[in-house]
Amino acid sequence: MMTGRATRFEEVQVGESLPPLHKTVSVEQIRRYAQASGDHNPIHLDQAFARSAGLPGVIAHGMLTMAFVNQMVTDWLGDRRTVRSLRGRFAGMVLPGDRVTCRGSVKAKDQSAGRLTLELSAENQRGEAVFTKGIADVEFHRAE
Amino acid sequence: MTDRRFRGRTYETGPFEVTEESIRAYMRATGDEREEPDLVAPPTYAMVYGFDAYWQLWTDPEVALDTAHLVHGEQRFTFHRPVRPGDQLRTTGRIADISARASMEFVDFDLSSTDVQGHLVSEATALFVIRSPQ
Repeated sequence: MMTGRATRFEEVQVGESLPPLHKTVSVEQIRRYAQASGDHNPIHLDQAFARSAGLPGVIAHGMLTMAFVNQMVTDWLGDRRTVRSLRGRFAGMVLPGDRVTCRGSVKAKDQSAGRLTLELSAENQRGEAVFTKGIADVEFHRAE
Repeated sequence: MTDRRFRGRTYETGPFEVTEESIRAYMRATGDEREEPDLVAPPTYAMVYGFDAYWQLWTDPEVALDTAHLVHGEQRFTFHRPVRPGDQLRTTGRIADISARASMEFVDFDLSSTDVQGHLVSEATALFVIRSPQ
């Protein structure tokens, strides 16, 4: 499947893939995300607490994974202003050291509205799904 | 088990003042630092300006969610306009549903954020899953 490098709405094809985005998550990044978002839940920050809650250790915020998926979309659009909706399911935990790959493709194109529906997902380095059933509705008018 | 009578309970945040510093801290933390001519917040920054509503839900002593066993199951956003430095946003969160299936409990939380003119800026639904510790 071709990877989308379309520069005009007319060139976008249903079925084309967005360039994938890779992110390796560290303890430091989870701390920075907690600081920036205000979410200091100890399951993200405190190893002993996370283990006592039955987790393998601290886990990344689901919303950090969704931020990666969102970035893949806005990098492709070249614009953070034209995402109309975004949704998805946190299907698996992301642990420090995991390499997350975000993927997306164009599912539908509404010519008259100038809108695209994207299908989105993310997986870890073992190919296990961490984000599924992702859908975004976007306007595509890529900046030159 | 969370009491289902809390369905419909709402939480209001104070005004959240969006600053360039806060947007840039979020962009650095997520690694989304591509520059655009117009500095707008990444769409998922909605979690930041709405965060106090989630926090109030998680720490409500009457609802008493088992947050040690709570995970974020799903998230949906609808964005009505971009968010920029200088925006003052208020968010209302509402417990839309509390349900249970097998050993899992599900809490649906609906949020809407408005600007100082009272216009809708974004809406969200979060689904939280509480795994039974047994």
